[in-house]
Amino acid sequence: MSLIQSGNPEESRLAQLWVPMSEHARKQGRTVSVELVCDTAAIALEVAGVGLLAGSDGNGRMELRYSTTSLCTRLADIENTVGEGPMIEASRSLAPVLVSDLDNVAAARRWPLYTALAVEEGARAFFAFPLVVGAVRVGVLTLCRREPVALDVAELTDALVFGEIALMLILDEHAGLSNGDGEQPGNTFTLSDPQVHQAAGMVAAQLDLSLDDAYARLRARAFVDRRPLSEVAAEVVARLLRFDIDLGAS
Amino acid sequence: MSEQRLMETFVELADTLTDDFDAIDFLHVLTDRCVELLDVDAAGLLLASSRGELQLVASSNESARVLEVFQLQANEGPCLEAFHGKKAVSWPDLSSAGTRWPQFARKAWSVGFRSVVALPMQLRSEVIGVLNLFRSSTGNLGPEELRSAKAMVDVATISLLQARSIRHHELLVEQLETALTSRVIIEQAKGFVAERLGVEMGEAFALLRRFARNNRRSLSDVSSAVVTRAPDVEDLYTTGETGPRTKG
Repeated sequence: MSLIQSGNPEESRLAQLWVPMSEHARKQGRTVSVELVCDTAAIALEVAGVGLLAGSDGNGRMELRYSTTSLCTRLADIENTVGEGPMIEASRSLAPVLVSDLDNVAAARRWPLYTALAVEEGARAFFAFPLVVGAVRVGVLTLCRREPVALDVAELTDALVFGEIALMLILDEHAGLSNGDGEQPGNTFTLSDPQVHQAAGMVAAQLDLSLDDAYARLRARAFVDRRPLSEVAAEVVARLLRFDIDLGAS
Repeated sequence: MSEQRLMETFVELADTLTDDFDAIDFLHVLTDRCVELLDVDAAGLLLASSRGELQLVASSNESARVLEVFQLQANEGPCLEAFHGKKAVSWPDLSSAGTRWPQFARKAWSVGFRSVVALPMQLRSEVIGVLNLFRSSTGNLGPEELRSAKAMVDVATISLLQARSIRHHELLVEQLETALTSRVIIEQAKGFVAERLGVEMGEAFALLRRFARNNRRSLSDVSSAVVTRAPDVEDLYTTGETGPRTKG
């Protein structure tokens, strides 16, 4: 069971998880950071630790950006050292890798070096959620438990939402928006709108940019114009707005 | 019954818990081994659906299957009692069960069974199903047989709960997330192709799909290659029925 109760059913789960984090941050005169997201997730999901890893350098190594416990830090080190494990697999496959028991034959067969060392460190369950937007790999959110206990349906759902929040905060940073203005991600940055992704593809082609830079340009433009991202994206797709040449009078 | 064969059965059951685990296959092995190893003539297994209704999942033979379905239809019998009461039900002589389960007793007798044992598949307070063991002779199951039967039921229960959570709940999430990500990559590729060739999204999608089909690749694989600028999809912009177009 997730500790954060479902409130207004009309409200999205993202909003329900965002509001307490946002209020907590505001009281301290800050905006929501990825570190706060990890700290909150660790408590809400009843896990021993939460880690946030930044994108792979191509050799499969990932950089640990934040960790709520030393256990999570050591597990990331192990994967980077032996070059295998659920975190690396999640990053490669772009799908969540959920291992509710590290100390069994199936896990040992999958990652012989990693599981032995991870269990020795005291980890018994490990869950890795890739933070991705299509082909854009931002990083991986990892959760670990000291008992071989699976995430239940509610926890799994919330883990995905925490991952989505972390993803959007990191994309904001990348767009130079330093955690936005404390506004709930998703209000202005929807990832469920296919036109946003089509527009990113178009901008990437227009400016010969990587996709993550294309998202950053779109996001920054929406922020400057104080318009929703989906509105900007729709104009790009309709070929009313280009990023390589200035079509409009603005 | 040999200890050796029982151990082999446990190993066999554990071995079916692989990546392509199939619950139906697994439970058929279980009912077959019950008949082989225990002093019983037929076995049937029912599982509770997510709404709490029992459903026949596996049986060692046709008469067991008939009897299981009959219990569900008549809404009486040892398997329902074991399920709701959360404990084993044993009836050594069905000729004296006329008042307890009038319809079931008659039906069981008519297909040749004289005694029955029903064991709940239980983990802590949750009962996920029932294993029914039928015999054509009267009398209780021996203590050793009963212990072995319970052990097999426990192994099956744990395996299934594991399979249920992993195969359905976790695998579902993994597959769903993969599908969603693939979908986004395809949208990104559509935008990229639409811009490069100056075509609409619908045409960009058709081009991607045609290229994937002609090259025997998956659409998400081709889309991924497009957005990462892999050289092996360069032909997409120079060949094809539409051919390259100039922008705007």
